[in-house]
Amino acid sequence: MSVKAYDEAVIILENKKINEKYLKLSFRSKKLVQGVKPGHFLMMQIGDKNDPFLRRPFSYYRASSDRIEVLYEILGYGTSLLSKKKKGETVQVMGPLGNPFSVKIARKKRVLVAGGVGVPPLVFFAEKNRSDYLLIGTKSKQEVMPKKELAKVKAKVLFSTDDGSYGTKGRVTLLLEDVIEKEGAENIFIQTCGPMPMMNAVMALAKKYEIPGEASLDKTMGCGVGVCLGCMVKTHEGWVPSCTEGPVFSFDDIVEAGV
Amino acid sequence: MKKTAAKKVDLTTKIKNLTFKNPVTVASGTFGTTTEMESFIDYDKLGAVIAKTVTLYARPGNPMPRICETASGMINAIGLQNKGLDEFLENKMPKIRKQKTPWVISIAAETTEEFSVMAKKLDAVKKDFAMLEVNLSCPNVEKGGASFVKKQETIIDIIKAIRDQTDMVMMAKLSPELGDVIEIAGNALRHGADGLSLINTLRGMVVDVYKRRSRIARDSGGLSGPAIKPVALRYVYDCKKAFNCPIIASGGIRDWKDAVEFLIVGADLLAVGTSNFVTPNATMQIITGIESFCREQGIQKLDDLRGTFQSAQSLGCK
Ligand SMILES: Cc1cc2nc3c(=O)[nH]c(=O)nc-3n(C[C@H](O)[C@H](O)[C@H](O)COP(=O)(O)OP(=O)(O)OC[C@H]3O[C@@H](n4cnc5c(N)ncnc54)[C@H](O)[C@@H]3O)c2cc1C
Ligand SMILES: Cc1cc2nc3c(=O)[nH]c(=O)nc-3n(C[C@H](O)[C@H](O)[C@H](O)COP(=O)(O)O)c2cc1C
Repeated sequence: MSVKAYDEAVIILENKKINEKYLKLSFRSKKLVQGVKPGHFLMMQIGDKNDPFLRRPFSYYRASSDRIEVLYEILGYGTSLLSKKKKGETVQVMGPLGNPFSVKIARKKRVLVAGGVGVPPLVFFAEKNRSDYLLIGTKSKQEVMPKKELAKVKAKVLFSTDDGSYGTKGRVTLLLEDVIEKEGAENIFIQTCGPMPMMNAVMALAKKYEIPGEASLDKTMGCGVGVCLGCMVKTHEGWVPSCTEGPVFSFDDIVEAGV
Repeated sequence: MKKTAAKKVDLTTKIKNLTFKNPVTVASGTFGTTTEMESFIDYDKLGAVIAKTVTLYARPGNPMPRICETASGMINAIGLQNKGLDEFLENKMPKIRKQKTPWVISIAAETTEEFSVMAKKLDAVKKDFAMLEVNLSCPNVEKGGASFVKKQETIIDIIKAIRDQTDMVMMAKLSPELGDVIEIAGNALRHGADGLSLINTLRGMVVDVYKRRSRIARDSGGLSGPAIKPVALRYVYDCKKAFNCPIIASGGIRDWKDAVEFLIVGADLLAVGTSNFVTPNATMQIITGIESFCREQGIQKLDDLRGTFQSAQSLGCK
């Protein structure tokens, strides 16, 4: 299942804001794209030496034959430093890591539920694989992905905003409930990625309606390669590292997704 | 004129009757148990591998969050998650046996009796390991707030109990958290340990000001990485001076220069720990870095560099 990972210094081609929420970082690499599928992630070393000390995980947003894009949100120290990197600067990147989202599913309708830092891998997925719905939850209109970025998505895209400034007002789970009602719970397979509270709400709904699915869990990671045992998820097999056993887990396997 | 090919530096490192092709190894718990990192490094090039600590019985590990980044390092409270010694011997050994590089097994236990049982089981397969590292210092597995090994007598009992069961080369892994390292080291060496592994992590914490809680589920955990290097260096230096025994150094080794610092104060093996998380092939870079440094300095064999620290006192400074 897992593909061979590489660790490479790459030169930044672009690193720019695409809206109020996200920045896009692109670089070229032939190695780091090999075998990449939506849901795979990479570990990026942002500082030159010890500051910040650990690498940061990011999903692949797009991967062509030799070009990779990452879409990220400034959430703290590392991502804020990253946002200041200029074209031509170098970052050390290791990937592809983890396990991607399943392409084959046992239900008729595929529903992708995304929010925040979980939007990039699911947009990537919806560009590569026909899906029925892509539901995206954000705070407000300023944070909605530009149309251009969603042009190649092969799914019906619906938005919810917390303040109602775009799409449906409220949480993304409202959209999900509508879809469940319309399509029938027995026909749906859910794939979700986003903040843990959002995914926990999605999984609670899935449980209520007995809908199978997968969640790409957002755990703080140390190494990204399964040796530090820091990003653990409680499954029926015990605590397992999200970086190597996930980050995509079947809902059935998860005992406790965490917060 | 014949061109003088760059001479190979002799990096050979000897501990007791063992010979390692170079001094670079990986610290327990930072590199997996078998060959998990083979995508990034050539295991045959490592001087040795120290596996993740195993305990007699399986341990589920601590609740999450278990790790937190700090300035130049991190805090961890993994809690020695592992599947237990029997599982290790059954499922991990076949792979380890196939490796050319010497493997070091690391053990920890909750009672002296458990240490003894483990030592006995390991004695039966001792040919598969170069050494036995006894982890006396994990800060994350304490019961009722105090580690059972925190008493001097307990440490002596453990070392003796292990020595009664096996003649494997035994390295006692210590942390300043246990108390006076020099005193403990002396006791361990007098009662059967062949050398020391210095240092395990230092206990620390990080507070989330909004939640007024620790960022680690267990409130505190072990600090590692470059942040602790000066402390580790000083303990390696002090212990080498006091006992002139074999020492595995760990604590913030990030690049060849860090490694050379430890060599100069007398370390025998250099265990790269947390830095593996950031730079998975750090060990490979360190091996070539040490070699280039030696060549540049005209040092033909590592033993000519090891332990050559010039103390201010010996230089007559006041
Ligand atoms: C598998 C995986 C894929 C990811 N993909 C993407 C992606 O494509 N784009 C993207 O923007 N982000 C992604 N993330 C999240 C990203 O790794 C974090 O946002 C980043 O590590 C934060 O680093 P920082 O130094 O800026 O924040 P820190 O200074 O470390 O933390 C600042 C704040 O961010 C929060 N935070 C820290 N780590 C995370 C995290 N992993 N998730 C959410 N909040 C966090 C902290 O609690 C804190 O409040 C992904 C995470 C994982 C595990
Ligand atoms: C995530 C993590 C797990 C560790 N697990 C173990 C362990 O199982 N046994 C052990 O003896 N030391 C363990 N250690 C300590 C390291 O082996 C090492 O002694 C210490 O981290 C100092 O070296 P460093 O700064 O290079 O990491 C662990 C350290 C970390 C960061």
